Amino acid sequence: MSRSGLAGGLLTSLLLVASSSRAQEQELHEDASESKKAPWYVPDHAAVQFAGSIGMLAAGPGWAFLDEQVDLEVLVGWAPQAVAGSDFVTLTLKAQWHPFRVRHGEWDIRPLTLGAAFSYTFGDDFYLTLPDRYASGYYWFKTALRPAFLMGGGVGRPAKVLGFERLEGYYELVATDYRIVQFLRNPDTVKLGLFSLALGARVRF
Amino acid sequence: MLPWLAAGCGAFEMHPYEVRGGERDSNARAVERLQERMSSGPFRFAVIGDIGIFQGSSEAAVRDLSRRDVDFAVQMGDLTEFGSADEYKWVSKLLNDASVPTMAVIGNHDMVGKGTELFLARFGPTFLSFEHGGSRFVLFDSNSREYDFPGDVPDLVRLEQALAEASLGGHRFTFSHVAPGHQDFDPTLTGPIEELQSERGVTVSFHGHSHRFRSDERLGVRYFVTDALDIRSYLLVSVEGPSVDVQQVFF
Repeated sequence: MSRSGLAGGLLTSLLLVASSSRAQEQELHEDASESKKAPWYVPDHAAVQFAGSIGMLAAGPGWAFLDEQVDLEVLVGWAPQAVAGSDFVTLTLKAQWHPFRVRHGEWDIRPLTLGAAFSYTFGDDFYLTLPDRYASGYYWFKTALRPAFLMGGGVGRPAKVLGFERLEGYYELVATDYRIVQFLRNPDTVKLGLFSLALGARVRF
Repeated sequence: MLPWLAAGCGAFEMHPYEVRGGERDSNARAVERLQERMSSGPFRFAVIGDIGIFQGSSEAAVRDLSRRDVDFAVQMGDLTEFGSADEYKWVSKLLNDASVPTMAVIGNHDMVGKGTELFLARFGPTFLSFEHGGSRFVLFDSNSREYDFPGDVPDLVRLEQALAEASLGGHRFTFSHVAPGHQDFDPTLTGPIEELQSERGVTVSFHGHSHRFRSDERLGVRYFVTDALDIRSYLLVSVEGPSVDVQQVFF
């Protein structure tokens, strides 16, 4: 199976498991009117994202905490050779904090999202521990692991028709450590952009 | 369809090592630009060191070039710190927009991740040989450690051929990131390359990587290591008949 096929398969099964177990949970608890109390490991939302340095498309399950002020997501991303010049498969752990929430009619607006992500890129060209041919510290960065700082916002509204509690759209400015280092080292001539842009959608079950 | 349209937009990054759009074959185009204003007689060229994370100094260096009456410049590798797409995009544009044609050598930092693929797309083949003012210039890859010392990096067969093509009477100048004798240069090839360069009458062998200016002579060949650009200096080489003057200039 190709790497991209594997990623797609993994993603689909994750989402299926997530939504079916959530559905089962809801059936079980319907009478108890405690449908919110699913076990911790059952995702309560899923996200799909375009760009943002973690693949052309990335998707995966997520978990919300503190009355949806904090979201934690695990995304599998893929950038195809046709677009990115090479196939890239990444696994990203993303944490987001939405400090404000404005409700306007059916709309649920989060004007500010701050977050952080760690993405791991699969493949022989990328390392997590320096290959043997280098003395320790030869390169101080790890090509397989990219920490990133995130800033953005989003807006959502109920989507019961589609069977979801809410459908949200978001944008995100992504600053990988590479961009941050170049930015901080060259404050007078910032020619490398600090951010790249990501667009995404999130469904809450 | 929409994602592909949006993918063309510069604001989006699919991956830090994506190979997409931007400048292509910068080295070949720099050589073309140089050939257009072919000169005979005395000429000057510049040798600029590691760019890495010294963007501000690199821009100043490129600006300074336009004031020095040089025909062209050669950058000695480590164009980037991380070999990432964003850095490649910036640096290839900087060199492309320079007032004089500028060719680049590949450095070890330019090879991490998918860096080599990015170099090949942005700058072209890592081995480059051309003639100017009756002298021969050869740029090659000497990052032996990146390949785990396979015994054929640098490619001495190709180097020998390129040096043999040089016209009689002209000078021969070679350029590579890691200098022979450095611990990142294949130790089994240090002797052979020094002998080859001596036999083929190389006048000066230019290098980067160590970040600090150094100069010595081995088997009648002069070796120069350029400062990295945070030192705000580069080498200015004036060629007039048999005389070759290498000067360290500050900006």
